Amino acid sequence: MAKVALVEALTMAMAYEMKHDPSVVVMGEDVGKNGGVFRATLGLQDTFGPERVIDTPLAEALIAGVAIGMAAMGLKPVAEIQFSGFIYPCVDEIINHAGRLRSRTRGRLSVPMVLRAPSGGGIHAPEHHSESNEAMFAHMPGIRVVMPSSPQRAYGLLLAAIRDPDPVVFLEPTRLYRLNKQEVADDGEALPLDTCFVLREGTDVTLVTWGAMVVESLAAAAELEKEGVSVEVIDLATVSPIDEQTVLESVEKTGRCVIVQEAPISGGVGSEVAALVAEKALYSLESPIVRVAGWDTPMPLFKLEHDYMPSTARVAAGIRKAMEG
Amino acid sequence: MKTFNLPDLGEGLQEAEIVSWHVKEGDVVKVDQPLLSVETAKAVVDVPSPYAGRIAKLHWKDGDIVPTHSALVDFDVGDGSAAAPAKKAEAPKPAAPAPKMEPISEDSGTVVGKMATSSALVEETAIIRKRVVKGTGKPKAAPAVRAYAKGIGVDLTRLSGTGKNDLITRADVDKAASSPGAIAGSKDRRGEARPATAKPSAPIAPIAFGEMVPMKGPRRAMHASMTRARSEVMECTIFDDADIHYWAPGNDITGRIVRSIVAGVKAEPGFNAWYDGEKLARQIHERIDLAMAVDTPDGLIVPVLRDVGRKDGAQLRADLNVIKEKTHSRSVSPDDMRNPTITLSNFGMMAGRYATPVVVPPTVAIIGTGGIRHDVVPVLGGVEVHKRIPLSLTFDHRCLTGGEACRFLAAMIKDLQKAT
Repeated sequence: MAKVALVEALTMAMAYEMKHDPSVVVMGEDVGKNGGVFRATLGLQDTFGPERVIDTPLAEALIAGVAIGMAAMGLKPVAEIQFSGFIYPCVDEIINHAGRLRSRTRGRLSVPMVLRAPSGGGIHAPEHHSESNEAMFAHMPGIRVVMPSSPQRAYGLLLAAIRDPDPVVFLEPTRLYRLNKQEVADDGEALPLDTCFVLREGTDVTLVTWGAMVVESLAAAAELEKEGVSVEVIDLATVSPIDEQTVLESVEKTGRCVIVQEAPISGGVGSEVAALVAEKALYSLESPIVRVAGWDTPMPLFKLEHDYMPSTARVAAGIRKAMEG
Repeated sequence: MKTFNLPDLGEGLQEAEIVSWHVKEGDVVKVDQPLLSVETAKAVVDVPSPYAGRIAKLHWKDGDIVPTHSALVDFDVGDGSAAAPAKKAEAPKPAAPAPKMEPISEDSGTVVGKMATSSALVEETAIIRKRVVKGTGKPKAAPAVRAYAKGIGVDLTRLSGTGKNDLITRADVDKAASSPGAIAGSKDRRGEARPATAKPSAPIAPIAFGEMVPMKGPRRAMHASMTRARSEVMECTIFDDADIHYWAPGNDITGRIVRSIVAGVKAEPGFNAWYDGEKLARQIHERIDLAMAVDTPDGLIVPVLRDVGRKDGAQLRADLNVIKEKTHSRSVSPDDMRNPTITLSNFGMMAGRYATPVVVPPTVAIIGTGGIRHDVVPVLGGVEVHKRIPLSLTFDHRCLTGGEACRFLAAMIKDLQKAT
């Protein structure tokens, strides 16, 4: 099996699906000849030609709108937005059309498209290249929001997203693109889009996270183990809709819950997880829910980005707080 | 000495042509002062100086085509290293629009910023969790009740909730607080720690009429073991009575019954065994570990008397008393119930004469004893009234024969009918 980085696993998934499903097309700014700003589509145009790997104009609204039209008419477009901060011109298209075409047409049309975008900070890029805006899409009905956190999950979840009959906003943690590698079997096996992944089993406290924060969360869990605290780490992965069962059963087991997100703390997906636990597992809670998150400010310029993003120390402090309460 | 490399002035451009230098070697320059004009594929741009200092060396001349990231200018920044141009310069801090200062050998994977790259392998096990068995969690209580219990020192793990879905209520906490043992780490009035055996039993939940209430504890375990027995064991039961009319005074009834089972096992060792029906194999045990089924309000509890074959009446009585006490105080541990080799169900105290008790795999036999009663029995052509113990023996007919069962029961009766 090939040992690949997360971004290479994405390329593998797209190549696999393009090879096996002629309705899959890849599109976006510089995705063809250039291979994408992060090289996620490297080599795809050479293999599948410019008709299936399409370089678009610098116009995000166009990319989303064209993809929706293609999807409604039977193609399976995988559109790339270069940075999540550039995704806002697509929001109208995604929310008003991609998320609603199925219900608007009483099921006559669906939108089997994927909108891929890098997400989050940590690569010293300008601040509007470093956003975590998953909550904005998670709030909108009719759209799945998926964030992989390892090469294997990137491969399996992107395949599932492409095959899903409805629109998926696929947010890729930029910081993890090349951070490490993992063996990924290029066997076309998709992962389910309705489940969390338990990355570490524990008995004292449940830590729910997703995207790049998986790295700090696992590091903090390892640190707390030395203090005798057994942390269960759950990668939410499918940020919307959320797999409630895995989270609730874990909290019922441990009695404590810490939520870690890179996005600003207010109104985020973490707030949704907290509400879920409060509504459905309140009687199991032995201490208040703790959220560790980015601050309620714009992502700062890159010299300060590591003060903005939750560090391992901040996550560990959050776990200790949950254990004390 | 600092070296300034030609930054990437576009998006991934590989080279730039020098249009003209604006400075020469020996000049003193300020930060942001234009050093030179270069032409890229897109435009002619001025490159500003990232440092203040004296120009020590210009590596290229007008008209040269310079690969991106190669050394462009050496600066003497007054750190005393001017005369050592060959010394490898420390990577300068970026000041111009985020130039990459270190030559990179391969595609960095991004057009902005700096991508962390490594070949370190992800070490993780990602589990997609299936539904877990409910009811294994910690006690459930509203946060306010938890805070209340914590405030008065009641340990919730020692309580059973009486609220909906076993929720611990404030009333449960109050009740526990008034029954001393639930106070965590409490001491009695003399200041002495209470002995473990004085642990009071948890409050028994009142019956919730009309509600579907999940079964818990021993009752739940009973469901599992009975279901397994029904699906695996081929049960056959025989009945008889032991006449104890001739017993000398002072016989310990339960002790005598245990002794008779030992006698039965001596006659037919195959009854003190574990049977594996899948492998068609049985394991006959030398040691007799007798499970005693005890009725409690919570359900059936089955502690095990160890090695009853080697114990005399007094030792058996002592063991029986321990079991009785443990059952009463609900302190029978899982170890106390593990791995019996044969079972006795002494059910006759209230009512019931014979029964078809159920063999729980892997054991192969269970003896039921009904209530002792006065029976009219024929004696030497006449009738007398004798005390008798009704006996029921259920055995697993997959591995034991009816003949063996009869011989086992006969040996039991023979032993039971002895005067002492």
